[in-house]
Amino acid sequence: MMIYVKLAWRNLLRNKRRSFIAGTAIGIGLAALIFVDALLLGMERNMIDSATASFLGQGRIQRTGFQDTQQADLTIGSLEKVLEGLRQEPILRHFTPRVLTYSMVSSPSNLSSIELVGIDPVTEKPVSEIDEAIVKGDYFSGDNDRDILIGDRLAEILKVSLGDRLVVTVSQAETGDLSQDLFRVSGIFRLNITEMDRGMAFVRLKKAQAMLGIGNDVHEIALVFADSKSGGDAGLPFWRKYSRFGNEAMGWPDIMPQLEAVFKLSRFSTYLAGLMLFGVVALGIINTLFMSLHERMFEFGVLRAVGTRPFSILQLVTYEAGSLAVLSIVLGGILGFVVTYIVAQTGIDYTGIEYSGVTFRKLIYPVLHIRQFIEYPLWLFLFTMLVGLYPASYAARMSPAAAMRRSL
Amino acid sequence: MSENKDVISVKGVTKVYSDNGVPVDALRGIDLTIRTGEFTAIVGPSGSGKTTFLNIISGLDTCSEGEVWLNGKLLSRMSGRELSDFRRDSIGFIFQAYNLIPVLTVEENIEYVMLLQEVPKKERQRRVSDILGMIGLAGFENRLPSKLSGGQQQRVAVARAMVSEPAIILADEPTANLDSTTSGALLDMMRDLNRKTGMTFVFSTHDENVMERAQRLVTLRDGRIHGDKHINVAG
Repeated sequence: MMIYVKLAWRNLLRNKRRSFIAGTAIGIGLAALIFVDALLLGMERNMIDSATASFLGQGRIQRTGFQDTQQADLTIGSLEKVLEGLRQEPILRHFTPRVLTYSMVSSPSNLSSIELVGIDPVTEKPVSEIDEAIVKGDYFSGDNDRDILIGDRLAEILKVSLGDRLVVTVSQAETGDLSQDLFRVSGIFRLNITEMDRGMAFVRLKKAQAMLGIGNDVHEIALVFADSKSGGDAGLPFWRKYSRFGNEAMGWPDIMPQLEAVFKLSRFSTYLAGLMLFGVVALGIINTLFMSLHERMFEFGVLRAVGTRPFSILQLVTYEAGSLAVLSIVLGGILGFVVTYIVAQTGIDYTGIEYSGVTFRKLIYPVLHIRQFIEYPLWLFLFTMLVGLYPASYAARMSPAAAMRRSL
Repeated sequence: MSENKDVISVKGVTKVYSDNGVPVDALRGIDLTIRTGEFTAIVGPSGSGKTTFLNIISGLDTCSEGEVWLNGKLLSRMSGRELSDFRRDSIGFIFQAYNLIPVLTVEENIEYVMLLQEVPKKERQRRVSDILGMIGLAGFENRLPSKLSGGQQQRVAVARAMVSEPAIILADEPTANLDSTTSGALLDMMRDLNRKTGMTFVFSTHDENVMERAQRLVTLRDGRIHGDKHINVAG
């Protein structure tokens, strides 16, 4: 009934200062939730970007079983058909073939086990950031097939610099025989990802294929989609389409399940924080409503005396809770938007810090999303109404005579 | 019981309160019948049980023993919701401290009960306008109670009690906070409305002004009826 909505709002505005303080307190809680959600979203994007853009790609195709065993003979089945299909995929922006194998690299001073990656410098360039991460030398500038790019940490371990020679030993695909070759350090990169800077080296695709004796075969095709969200979309028909010929196509959540697990944990933490926040909010609402009720007990007695049904009293107090929620949502929504927007412009600097195996390489920018301004306010509104039922039922159950006596 | 004429019928009503575990007899076996159109004052010293009696005959409170019949209905058989509806449709209340809803305007306060009764808007407006004219507050529709004097607020409370045309008006010391001139004028107005509309008025009061205008004086003392006097009032 409109009269109760009107009464609820006027009652809320009766003690403006108290309502404003209560609304602000609840609103700050909402703003904090919006900000944390936006920050988490920004952090997720940053981590995905760090993990996928640096080298991994947003998705990849491999021979089934290669991910677990890295056996050199598990090359992509029907490679030409796969490549032909990929060339005609409208949802793909770039793709590049790779050869991957465990190997031993030695210098005159030291040796280290690494993952040797054979890449096509031209098609690799738009997929990964190896070329941009070169800190010394250059990215396969000539056509020397003995060029090798290593990470700065590996260079430290091996105590080598540009132009120094390295010997790389791999196990051949067919026979398992060891194959050695001499390379010259043509570039040193720093991706700020410890595993890569310390444990990876890049050579030309043809050279890696020759060392492994796999002809023109490759172990992996890294993918970059036109829409960056596609890589995380498990329902994309693309994955099924290319999971044949003994191959499996997968997006980054399958490639890095630990990252998805971290995100789930972070989201759960946010919900937990939200729950605790809502608990505090609940006490605030109950306190505010009870203070208001006790001040107006005689009025409730009068309302009951003139024929207001108990359910209508329940409605009235619940609407007051709802009005408080609306006030809080407006205040919290504005505050949440302003704070998040400002930080989304300036960013938060966590660069260089490693979290769950991913190093933040760029500033984290909180991401505003319409969902934050619908989902959380809606939850807050429903929760406030629900919590408001307690004082509301207290007021509704009170006998009119008792209510009037209590105020005298 | 002649249900057509006896608007209030109370039989053997007792009320025992618990005051910190100590039982207190507020009413001790009250028998009383009030007929349609009577202008009755329940008088007695403080603590004699006047307010308790009004609360019980209106269904705001329950009696410990006995029966209360209102307009032919036994209150103890009604559910909470039925009692609310019954009060809404059959009883108008006037309280000592006016007790208008402070956030509602004069017009909204008066039309509140009619809103509960789902009276159409035009009809509500007509009745509010008529009754404000009757109580001399035409033009005060949009004022908040805080902008009215005590006498004006009590007149609005009378209007609120009467506008839904209930069978009974119960007034708990309605003139206690008013000066004698204002209370006299207010009582004359209520007496006039009583004559014109035939509504039954029951007051609890200490006020000589009320007693002078009452048709019937019921005296309560220590929770018992100590006297019941019918008076022939001119007019």
